Amino acid sequence: MLKRIITLAGTLGLCLSLATPAQAGPKEDLARFQHFYLKRFPGVPLKEFANGVYAIDKVSRENWEAIEEFPPYEPYVEEGKEMWNTPFKDGKGYKDCFPDGPAIKADYPRWDAASKRVLTLELAINECRQAHGEKPLKYKKGPIAILTAYIAWESRGKPTHVVIPDDPDARAAYERGKRFWLARRGQLNFSCATCHAQNAGKHIRADILSPALGHTTHFPVYRSKWGELGTLHRRFTGCNKQVRAKPFKPQSEQYRDLEYFLTYMSNGIPLNGPGARK
Amino acid sequence: MNQESPKMKTLSLFRAAGLALVLTGLANGPALAGDSAQAQYEDMYQQAKAAQKRAASVEGEWRDIGKFLKKAQALAKKGDYEAAFKLARKAYIQGKLGYTQALSQQKVDWPSYFK
Repeated sequence: MLKRIITLAGTLGLCLSLATPAQAGPKEDLARFQHFYLKRFPGVPLKEFANGVYAIDKVSRENWEAIEEFPPYEPYVEEGKEMWNTPFKDGKGYKDCFPDGPAIKADYPRWDAASKRVLTLELAINECRQAHGEKPLKYKKGPIAILTAYIAWESRGKPTHVVIPDDPDARAAYERGKRFWLARRGQLNFSCATCHAQNAGKHIRADILSPALGHTTHFPVYRSKWGELGTLHRRFTGCNKQVRAKPFKPQSEQYRDLEYFLTYMSNGIPLNGPGARK
Repeated sequence: MNQESPKMKTLSLFRAAGLALVLTGLANGPALAGDSAQAQYEDMYQQAKAAQKRAASVEGEWRDIGKFLKKAQALAKKGDYEAAFKLARKAYIQGKLGYTQALSQQKVDWPSYFK
């Protein structure tokens, strides 16, 4: 009798474990995310998503390739190199903060266990500056975008490889970023996913909505609309405004967590910044 | 003959005037007058500020709430409490909607098209 009860309990347990879906973690999310875009745009290889909308639309690509013949970001790369090599007032320089530099773009964003937060490249640059008695740079455009354009240029070809460590705080930051990306916001009630997943490849007025896969690879970006370089967080701000939500501050926890999630989703795709976009 | 008596004419006139008043009221919302208008505006402004703060507390503030409130204050300074009230009310409604929206999205997960 006891044997039968044990067998029954075992069978029941097995059934329950099969019926309960496995807890989805970042790895499962990554597979789901990349599979979605590869299925939505058959024939576009994973690495090609680094080129955004130009990976999925032939006409836009032709225009972009013409622009890339004389890249509008090129002078900024030169200027950024000068910034990188200019010592601070205390005689030290960026190389002292980033010994592996300047090709360090692929190391960010990353989880900083000591400060329990997502550390972005822009934040790390400003912390370096402040440690050496320099004023922090503004986060949306100007010198920070110029310096990171040089860093991005030097990092070209390195694969995106964000790590979500086995740390509950890191995982929480990742989950917050994921929720931010999925949550509808603003008067238009759109989420990031509404435009860049559900409607990716479709027209919004005269523009084609870009796929979110590969969104982070080419920043900072020279946008013709801006007529200058801008950072990823500047773009986040613009997107939030477009759906009529109040944007967060660049380098706020919300946008750093979002960057963490979104960059992780592009793992495996080579960096190709700085980019040129409409 | 379809001639109205003077009594009937007066009644028709009253009816027309009444209808005009009702239509004007519908078009412009409740009319605010004098001190009461200022008080009503100030009350609505405070309510809108609270709604804005509440929406922000759950990261759900909408883009234009701050702009509406700033414009409302400028209009109130000029004494146009009616227009100021309308803007403050708009901000109040958006604050409430932003709060509700943010709460509804707190447990959001992958949408069906990702599955």
